[in-house]
Amino acid sequence: MAAAMSSSCCVSSLRLVPFKQSMISSVHYPVKPLISPPILSFRRTIVTFQKISTRITRPPSASSSPSSSGDFEPIEDLPPKLQEIIKLFQSVQDPRAKYEQLLFYGKNLKPLDSQFKTRENKVQGCVSQVWVRAFFDEERNVVYEADSDSVLTKGLAALLVQGLSGSPVPEILRVTPDFALLLGLQQSLSASRNNGFLNMLKLMQKKALLLEVKSEEDTSSGEVSESSFETTPETVDEASVLEGDSDSKPSLVEDLEAEKIEEVDTGSDVVALGSRGMRIREKLEKELSPVELEVEDVSSQHAGHASVRGTDGETHFNLRIVSDAFQGKSSVKRHRMIHDLLQEELQSGLHALSIVAKTPSEV
Amino acid sequence: MEAVVVMKLPSFKSLAPNAISIASGHRSFSRVRRSSSLSVASSSATIATDSEPVSLGHSTRKDFRILHQEVNGSKLVYLDNAATSQKPAAVLDALQNYYEFYNSNVHRGIHYLSAKATDEFELARKKVARFINASDSREIVFTRNATEAINLVAYSWGLSNLKPGDEVILTVAEHHSCIVPWQIVSQKTGAVLKFVTLNDDEVPDIDMLREMISSKTKLVAVHHVSNVLASSLPIEEIVVWAHDVGAKVLVDACQSVPHMVVDVQKLNADFLVASSHKMCGPTGIGFLYGKSDLLLAMPPFLGGGEMISDVFLDHSTYAEPPSRFEAGTPAIGETIALGAAVDYLSGIGMTKIHEYEVELSKYLYEKLSSLPNVRIYGPRPSENVHRAALCSFNVEGLHPTDLATFLDQQHGVAIRSGHHCAQPLHRYLGVNASARASLYFYNTKEDVDSFIVALADTVSFFDSFK
Repeated sequence: MAAAMSSSCCVSSLRLVPFKQSMISSVHYPVKPLISPPILSFRRTIVTFQKISTRITRPPSASSSPSSSGDFEPIEDLPPKLQEIIKLFQSVQDPRAKYEQLLFYGKNLKPLDSQFKTRENKVQGCVSQVWVRAFFDEERNVVYEADSDSVLTKGLAALLVQGLSGSPVPEILRVTPDFALLLGLQQSLSASRNNGFLNMLKLMQKKALLLEVKSEEDTSSGEVSESSFETTPETVDEASVLEGDSDSKPSLVEDLEAEKIEEVDTGSDVVALGSRGMRIREKLEKELSPVELEVEDVSSQHAGHASVRGTDGETHFNLRIVSDAFQGKSSVKRHRMIHDLLQEELQSGLHALSIVAKTPSEV
Repeated sequence: MEAVVVMKLPSFKSLAPNAISIASGHRSFSRVRRSSSLSVASSSATIATDSEPVSLGHSTRKDFRILHQEVNGSKLVYLDNAATSQKPAAVLDALQNYYEFYNSNVHRGIHYLSAKATDEFELARKKVARFINASDSREIVFTRNATEAINLVAYSWGLSNLKPGDEVILTVAEHHSCIVPWQIVSQKTGAVLKFVTLNDDEVPDIDMLREMISSKTKLVAVHHVSNVLASSLPIEEIVVWAHDVGAKVLVDACQSVPHMVVDVQKLNADFLVASSHKMCGPTGIGFLYGKSDLLLAMPPFLGGGEMISDVFLDHSTYAEPPSRFEAGTPAIGETIALGAAVDYLSGIGMTKIHEYEVELSKYLYEKLSSLPNVRIYGPRPSENVHRAALCSFNVEGLHPTDLATFLDQQHGVAIRSGHHCAQPLHRYLGVNASARASLYFYNTKEDVDSFIVALADTVSFFDSFK
């Protein structure tokens, strides 16, 4: 990383610039420990980790170094990679060059797959869009991925990703936003609504905490093995009670449940069907003699929009039909067949069908 | 404002000697020859010679001390006036004066100071009424800001006049303050909101608006000048169409009152709102103009002191407007300072301000559109189409937040980036956010030049990283 830096930066010799105390005193924002109750449980489990420094017993907001102000976390307590980054930025004097460095980081940030650009991963309060994803590696260190549509924010996100990835949860939780002052970027670091940097850090810390909590729950109940953590954190987040996003939660939770049930028993009913669902099933079974038939009532996912108002549910269904009756017919013809069979329902309140129609040989 | 005070209350002069000497400063541009008596920080160009007319921007700059500073190592270039304007010394002095010499609660007291405070407060109301040519000062209701004024109409007039199926017409370009209150009220009353979209010139489609107005329409609530598109709506015509079907019209004049002559008699609007802080006045005060007969029929908004007539344990009777809608102790000093702002602006002349801004607006638009990859929102200026002196824009491939940050950090240029409280409009335009530079009469062509240079530098900096 250092080699790559020197090729883009104009500074050829590294100079450590003493950090100006006046900068700290002019900025003041609350430093709250992110978590209070669960910290005790961390201390117990943490003893087994090798990477934890022996200074872990110190509470997050205290500082022993006499040169820093009360709220300020000494640089030595920060994750080592973050320390490196800070020192690098401090060595660059010219503000413009600092920006160049920031942009360079951003450019080299590993792109975030669009499937992870979800609401749970979005940093709130940003005018630009920023997403952050977190998962454990094999050694239960947190690994981050991030993206943004604003290049400066992407640079900041890259700083955080590089600086914090590979660190264990408690180390991440100890980081206070003050360190950003050390970068000398003079980004607005007040806890204002639009402060992306602060919110990014908070989200990353929150996600680290969630990973820890979830893994503790799972290891204690023995359900999920640690190696599956890489792929499940998203679904964990989505279904997690700790997430405050109540709007999208119910349907996502339903999705998860529905998916789980489907995996278990592919041929039978997924969710208890009401009368219309039963009628659809009967009709299709009678007319198409399917090898496989799945009828899923997904009306609750559409409960918000106007077409459902005034009906008593049972408006949207997912259909999966495998039948010989589809042989030789184009997809359009197959869908039309099904629609014709279900004419009565469509005229009496059934609003939409999502259809997968295959022949046995196509499955 | 101090000059008026001197005439009306001669005894006052001895109380506030400081105020008077500084006050003479603000009148310099209406009597240019006297400007040599200024004690305020001077710029050499203030005295006009016959051969070289000084622009309004240059001649007024000295009244605004805040403009003369450096930020992040560069001279401040303040181009965020659509968000809030700067205050001239005269307005700041009026506020200071009030607190230093005659602060007292209004409308309630008998003693000398409170009589004085009440006089000044009501005088400010008269000034505002005159400023927009209201027929009576009782048609001016002071609120905290324009947003509160719109909420006042929504809750007071809206809740008692809207029935299920009634229609309220808005545009997609409205500020959130003229969308959200109507959403709340329509949910409570069962009224329906209808939105006029933009036409190909990127202004609200007037033909569509006209067609939307029907016998179901009860209210048309629209902006006079858009804070994003810089376009203006033909309010007079809209009012005619609305009144034809018995609908009322509320005009959001936040971006027009500070910049041009606004005559409510000519517009014939039923309600009009504006904010003090966008017209050289302090924050914390705004006003609602409402036709007398409308206000008289409206129930109270907030309850408390001041707005009552008699109070019993089980019921109360209410005061006449405007007091009916001014519960509690008002922002007295701020109101008086708003009066001072009105005096200051009137001293320059709104026509003169408007003419200058039309020039500046053209200059800004030309310069900005000459840069490559810049997309400016709103109509193109022409003979018939005058844009307000602001441009919301996007540079291709560059996020507005990055742009604004760099402009501020590296060049001291203050613009705004975001959705400018117009999310529906941005969604309609298909963007998440935009950058916006907005001018006022104390900006100069040099400010625009500095902005353009800084912008070009910013774009090339970020381009080099693509």
